[in-house]
Amino acid sequence: MPAVLLAVLISLPFWTPSRYWVSVAIQALILAVFAMSLDLLLGFGGMPSFGHAAFYGMGAYACGKLFPQLTGGGLLAFLAAGMAAGVIAALPIGALAVRARGIYFLMLTLAFAQMVWGLAFQWTSFTGGTEGMSGIPQAVPDWLQEQGQNVWPALRTAGPFYVVALTVAVLAFAGLTAITRSPFGRALEGIRENEGRMRALGYPTYRYRLAAFVIAAAFAGLAGATTALYNGYANPSQLYWHTSGLVLIAVIVGGTRSLLGAVLGAFFVTIVQLVISSYTEHWQLLLGAVFIAVVLFLPGGLISLGRLGWLRR
Amino acid sequence: MRLEARQISVRFGALAALASVSLDVQSGERRALIGPNGAGKTTLFNVIAGELRPASGSVLLDGRDVTSLPTWRRARMSVGRTFQRSALFPRLSVSENLELAVRRGALGGRRRAVPDRLAAAGLSAVAERPAVSLGHGEQRALEIELALACEPRLLLLDEPMAGLSGAERQAALARLRDLPRSVTLVIVEHDIDAVFAIAERITVLDHGVRIADGTPAEVRADPRVQEVYLGRS
Ligand SMILES: Nc1ncnc2c1ncn2[C@@H]1O[C@H](COP(=O)(O)OP(=O)(O)OP(=O)(O)O)[C@@H](O)[C@H]1O
Ligand SMILES: [Mg+2]
Repeated sequence: MPAVLLAVLISLPFWTPSRYWVSVAIQALILAVFAMSLDLLLGFGGMPSFGHAAFYGMGAYACGKLFPQLTGGGLLAFLAAGMAAGVIAALPIGALAVRARGIYFLMLTLAFAQMVWGLAFQWTSFTGGTEGMSGIPQAVPDWLQEQGQNVWPALRTAGPFYVVALTVAVLAFAGLTAITRSPFGRALEGIRENEGRMRALGYPTYRYRLAAFVIAAAFAGLAGATTALYNGYANPSQLYWHTSGLVLIAVIVGGTRSLLGAVLGAFFVTIVQLVISSYTEHWQLLLGAVFIAVVLFLPGGLISLGRLGWLRR
Repeated sequence: MRLEARQISVRFGALAALASVSLDVQSGERRALIGPNGAGKTTLFNVIAGELRPASGSVLLDGRDVTSLPTWRRARMSVGRTFQRSALFPRLSVSENLELAVRRGALGGRRRAVPDRLAAAGLSAVAERPAVSLGHGEQRALEIELALACEPRLLLLDEPMAGLSGAERQAALARLRDLPRSVTLVIVEHDIDAVFAIAERITVLDHGVRIADGTPAEVRADPRVQEVYLGRS
């Protein structure tokens, strides 16, 4: 299934009717990275964060704040700065938040994220306040900008940033897949299933939970940096709880405990948000209804529909 | 591994769950800890394993004071335990359960030990099933095997036979009897036959107080024990 999805995405610029759909795909890919990072926490670690936007936003703000210095370093410098910002914010927040579990963890992460948002909102001289920061360059590497469309003519219409977004998403998927399948990922699942037993088996569970929190924040920061580059700005809405809620819905609708589920959820949410909203104002109602239906009737998320179909064949 | 619990006291609000209880178990010994419901047996295990900090008293392992060490550090010092109510990883497969155990909190290899563990516990046939789907007897077998897979030198077993059928009971008993002397065993068990089949010494708790401690014959003859415990069953 990942191969099919990848083939569709690679060929998208060839058959897409317009550039609009490329922009939808780019935004879906960015949300997919963000959703996969949350799935590491929620699906694999059993930690329901309602404040994941803090790290996404930090990634964007890092690009906004540092772009004069980062421009020389190119795309990689921006992406690395986004990840670093996520890590730096996650260390103190995680050190406190991962002591709590379940609903308390959820409330704590929400509270911390709203503090970060409040800071960005009010510390105008440093963050740009309500306006945020704009003028961030796309930082597409020169060779891609110049040669990309010779290799891949469709990029003439799609724009080279599509390659950036797709590459970031593929690498994030590969990286997070490796992490979840590693002994570390297994231990994280063990902690989700039964933390007390893991302690009794010799696992320092606090450290594992904190490590997962920080890794998830790094990938959220990566997604945030990508969105800052694509849109050219960082602003408080990227840190706001709406953003945390949207990514949480994406993961749950798509299917927790599956990175592919998170990707699926991200595409679904993006399409509802961008496409359906151009036909009706009630897209949030639709999203809410689907969310409730999934929670009640399809606990494995949309991805579990695919698995059922696979089995029947 | 030698275990010394010295004058352990634990309170839950107004309830004295343990009142200055001491337990001294020699290296390689097989000790039973018995007493009626609510006597404080599981609480004492929680103190020894590190899950509960006692209000007073200390825990020593091979003479080293570990009272302030967290559970995972004691586990890495080779303290293993089973839980009264099975504490498995429900949605992980049986072999994934054991994989987590053989790694003993580290991220290194040692996965090759899993097939042997499955065979020893008689769980090879259900290796790929999620633990939650096992029957009660199989869950108890996995519960014990998770502790054994860590190769403990001190093993705390909290009612390992509870709810087992006759045949399962015999299998579990045989598995415990085969343990090498490098393992110190402390077993909480309501099944008196199992207790007398395994234990070299017995400690009796009642209402958080140690009321007897001695060989099976001594404990059996103790009038207080007969009154609070054996006499009732
Ligand atoms: N976390 C807790 N909070 C409050 N009271 C507790 C707690 N854990 C145990 N107790 C109480 O402490 C007393 C001792 O409990 P414990 O579980 O140690 O008994 P036990 O000897 O293991 O009994 P059983 O044979 O039923 O397992 C009981 O009265 C119990 O209700
Ligand atoms: Mg008990």
